[in-house]
Amino acid sequence: MSAAHWNNNETTDNMNTFKIAILAAFLLPVAVSAQDRFGTRNGHIAFFSETPMENIEGNNHKVSSVWDATSGALQFAVLIKAFEFEKALMQEHFNENYMESNTFPKAEFKGKMTGVTAEQLKKPGTYDVLVEGDLTIHGVTKPVKTKGTLTVEANGTIKASSDFMVRPEDHGIKIPGMVRKNIAEQIAVRVRMDYTRM
Amino acid sequence: MIAVLGTVAVIGGATYAYMEYNRGTAGADAMQPVATVTAEDLLASYAADEAAADQRFVGEADQAIEVTGTIRAMEPVGSDKTNVILETGDPMAGVVCEFSNTDLPIDWRSGASVRVKGICTGLLMDVVLVRCVASE
Repeated sequence: MSAAHWNNNETTDNMNTFKIAILAAFLLPVAVSAQDRFGTRNGHIAFFSETPMENIEGNNHKVSSVWDATSGALQFAVLIKAFEFEKALMQEHFNENYMESNTFPKAEFKGKMTGVTAEQLKKPGTYDVLVEGDLTIHGVTKPVKTKGTLTVEANGTIKASSDFMVRPEDHGIKIPGMVRKNIAEQIAVRVRMDYTRM
Repeated sequence: MIAVLGTVAVIGGATYAYMEYNRGTAGADAMQPVATVTAEDLLASYAADEAAADQRFVGEADQAIEVTGTIRAMEPVGSDKTNVILETGDPMAGVVCEFSNTDLPIDWRSGASVRVKGICTGLLMDVVLVRCVASE
């Protein structure tokens, strides 16, 4: 990557701040202090299915998320077709056979992240957090409760991470018997967000 | 003779199955665009009717579209990707085109008029295209 690409950093930063502010208004329409609101539209969600037959991994780097530190309100939105796979067949089966992404193009999470105060976010540190809310995949909403870690960097960036398991059957995703052994009964989900203050 | 033909058929079938199983995900460069549209019109289509826009631009299976526009901003995504955000005339939303850094033209910068070929995945806050390349 040429350094010439980044000679508009200030413009880009301003644009990022603006875009995230708009995103927050879209995703989190509640009256809270803007100073305690964080967001990203380049969050990373990955999932892993591990079986003796084969391992399957999908990655999505286009996750939109907003977190309000005062209320704890947390939201994610993700386009299913933006998940990428190493093999084309995996991606095709994922979209066409299991997620039915033409019918259910998005997945969402709405809930809360608690365990850290807005005051603690003013200085660098790492905190254990609890994430709790409703996860909608394949048009089916289920409650989720999981632990996570939140790290405040010296530059004010907040890195949030969480790992949890999802059962496809809980979201009405049917796995044909013929390939049942190729897909794990519980899918490991990894969430990594780099939030910036809005 | 039958045994030879049978063996050839089995080997051919197994080779095809192996190649199909290991087929990599195609980038937009390998696809003929199904639509050419300006960034403004792409966003306007989603604003008017998201489901209809998905049907046209996302399609049933992976398909490429070609989008023309002016670069509003560029931002790194991790260590190996870059978002090229195209101006839409609407400050509330853009068209985000995700490039692998290896596919990103080195002379692109904010304000440049560009033509992008990418795979449209739909609308969140922005219209999102992935696996993008510069269109000739």
